[in-house]
Amino acid sequence: MSAISLESRRSLFNTAMLLNLTLFLLLGAMWLGLALSTDTFWTANNITNLFRQTALLSVIAIGQTVVIITGGIDLSVGAMVGFSSVIVSLMLKAGYPIPVAVGATLALGAIVGLYHGFAIRRLGIPPFIITLSSLSVLTGAGLLLTGGSTISGLPPEFTSFSRGSFAGVPNLFWMVIVVAVPIYLLLNHTAVGRHIFAVGSSPEAARLSGINVDRTVYLVYAISSTLAALTGVLTASRISIGLATTGMGWELQSIAASVIGGASLFGAIGGVAGSLLGAMALTTINNGANLLNVNPFWQQIITGLLIVVIVYFDQLRRTRR
Amino acid sequence: MNIAVGGDPVVETSTDDLLRLEAVDKRFAGTHALRSIHLDFRQGEVHAIVGENGAGKSTLIKILTGAYVRTGGRILWKGREVALTTPKEAHALGIHAVHQEMMLCPHLTVAANLFLGEEKTSNGFMRSSEMSRAAQRAIDDLGFDLDARSLLSSLSIGRQQLVAAARAALHGSSLIIFDEPTAYLTRGETDQLFALIRRLKASGVTVVYISHRMEEIFELGDRVSVLRDGNLVSTRNICDTNPAQLVTDMVARPVGDAHHKEAIEIGEPLLSVEGLSGQGFHDISLSVRRGEIVGLFGLIGSGRSEFARALFGRTRVSAGTINKSGAPLDARNEADAIRAGIALIPESRRHEGLCMGLDVRSNLSLANLPQLTRFGFIDSSQERRDAADWIKTLRIVTATDRIPVGHLSGGNQQKVLIGKWLYHGADLYIFDEPTVGVDVATKAEIYRTIAGLLRQGAGVIVISSYLPEVYDLADTLHVFRRGTIVTTHRFKAASQDEILANAIGT
Repeated sequence: MSAISLESRRSLFNTAMLLNLTLFLLLGAMWLGLALSTDTFWTANNITNLFRQTALLSVIAIGQTVVIITGGIDLSVGAMVGFSSVIVSLMLKAGYPIPVAVGATLALGAIVGLYHGFAIRRLGIPPFIITLSSLSVLTGAGLLLTGGSTISGLPPEFTSFSRGSFAGVPNLFWMVIVVAVPIYLLLNHTAVGRHIFAVGSSPEAARLSGINVDRTVYLVYAISSTLAALTGVLTASRISIGLATTGMGWELQSIAASVIGGASLFGAIGGVAGSLLGAMALTTINNGANLLNVNPFWQQIITGLLIVVIVYFDQLRRTRR
Repeated sequence: MNIAVGGDPVVETSTDDLLRLEAVDKRFAGTHALRSIHLDFRQGEVHAIVGENGAGKSTLIKILTGAYVRTGGRILWKGREVALTTPKEAHALGIHAVHQEMMLCPHLTVAANLFLGEEKTSNGFMRSSEMSRAAQRAIDDLGFDLDARSLLSSLSIGRQQLVAAARAALHGSSLIIFDEPTAYLTRGETDQLFALIRRLKASGVTVVYISHRMEEIFELGDRVSVLRDGNLVSTRNICDTNPAQLVTDMVARPVGDAHHKEAIEIGEPLLSVEGLSGQGFHDISLSVRRGEIVGLFGLIGSGRSEFARALFGRTRVSAGTINKSGAPLDARNEADAIRAGIALIPESRRHEGLCMGLDVRSNLSLANLPQLTRFGFIDSSQERRDAADWIKTLRIVTATDRIPVGHLSGGNQQKVLIGKWLYHGADLYIFDEPTVGVDVATKAEIYRTIAGLLRQGAGVIVISSYLPEVYDLADTLHVFRRGTIVTTHRFKAASQDEILANAIGT
């Protein structure tokens, strides 16, 4: 075998870093552009707002990325956000203490995730189909429980959380750190994380190496659904209501954030940092379009086209190998 | 649609060669798959090609059908030089292949498959009933007992093969390659296929017939060519040869390539299997002792790999017992087998052996994470040091341990795969086709690694469909045919001809 070419010297890990760097610069350029072209962007109020919006999307995008690394997808996260905002609101209205209501809602999220794992591994239902089914079921269940209306009058201790801040950083952004750091460690420094990448790369090779593929798949869907439930709780706190349709379309936003951040829908590639950058980029486009008085419908078009461009470049890199 | 014969009206040329290969050569990174092949295919002949697995038959087919681009030599079609570098060009010339693996759409009907890509339409709408009738006429005409309206997936594999053959026959081919066409056919279906082949031949079509089955070659063929290790050994008229001569051509080997087996003392029993049956194999009894190489030889589908998989807990056994180091072993999954000290180095590196997108380091440690983990966290400095050690010990050629393993050559990938199990440690190693797609130098290193394992008291099972490999390595050689062991030989107690004949069943 001849000497390793320069091409293969550039490992996947470096390209991932390169992509993240590009995204970071793109984000910086967007921020600079917006700061110069509007006098409303670079204000304490708007930046705080931007971070709050990013926070909610980041949490579900991180969960989505974990699933995508195994080569799966979770279409139910948006519906789960709405459903869990309803559950936590109903429980709070019924007088349960905040920790109990929040804990029960997160546990419900985990159960839904385990059910997805069960359906995929035991019943042989593809991830796309089973989570699409849950999208429908959870939205329907949320609407049924509330009769389609909003639940308001949540306790002020609950709603003040998302408005507050700690050590000068908004509480919601602390939540991102609380989620991102452990998931980063899980993916990159634990055996479980290595199993997640191995299953996404080749389930058969993972299996023949003695890895429990079933357990890995159960875990990633549980993580994704639990983080979606957490996002639902935070959303209820932020907008002070429980509403079954509040997370509509967020599943696509989370997939977009994950993919823009470098995750591959074929599995085995993706990371926490990319998901955060992806979520930030999407939110910035959103925020910037509002400030520039761009028709909000354009935001969706821009997001869609951005996905095509980024995934096309990713594809180029792959096929050139 | 009628049977179109020979593409265009037959133009008399000075030669009756339809297709002629001159010094055709094919190299891959690390392997020389075809070495300067000179071969001609005459109009209207059935030309059989035989050779062991790895002799270069598949590569030859892929060059003829434009799937591979040759790295040297000329190809002449009816006396004119052609490029033949794309499947499209092969189709345009009238070269079609009926492959072992189906190239049809199982969810469509027989008729739809026959017309695939050439659907009859009017104003953009498909004329389904017309196609259905035309297909049925063509099928009846060929003498096949098939309903054109049935879904392809509802047919047996054998009948699907007949549909594939019909498709090639109906598309105006002038040269049709049949690759092991009877592997899944019943006797009746084989007769129908043979009738079709004779008919094609009578109408001037050239048939290239690849098979392991001697009786078929002598029944159908006009000439036969033998490939061995990428070389064309002989081309003979069928009437001037006999099966024994062909087998000799297939197995004779250049002297310089011989592998010298090390003398290693054989110790106590490690594994004993009694009457084991399961999916794809039945009634297997064998034992492996420490320091012993047990070879399992058989053609693809003979049950040897299926048996190994069951031993490793990948599939369930339906009957029989396994004893490992004196204790009964009931491996419910791979993790159980690994805990019992068994390691499987599977045949397909790409699909089963390695995570191609992950780096060398991660692949090496994949089976060994429990030993590297403290409180769930991987000790990455230990992992890095260990990876460096294995890369050095096995002489894996890679710039760093962070390169995706898919970027390495086949031989180095195989070393990573073996390294993964050496790192983990086991006392029974199962190697399934350990040297497929591996260059000669790496092959020797792999054999040395195996010898090292034996000296440490491990037992080894080597599975191969390449006879010289197991012949030179195995202390005990079991020959598989149709899911069971047909004969067992001690080291070099039988000739290669005899063993190959056992496996083929002549």
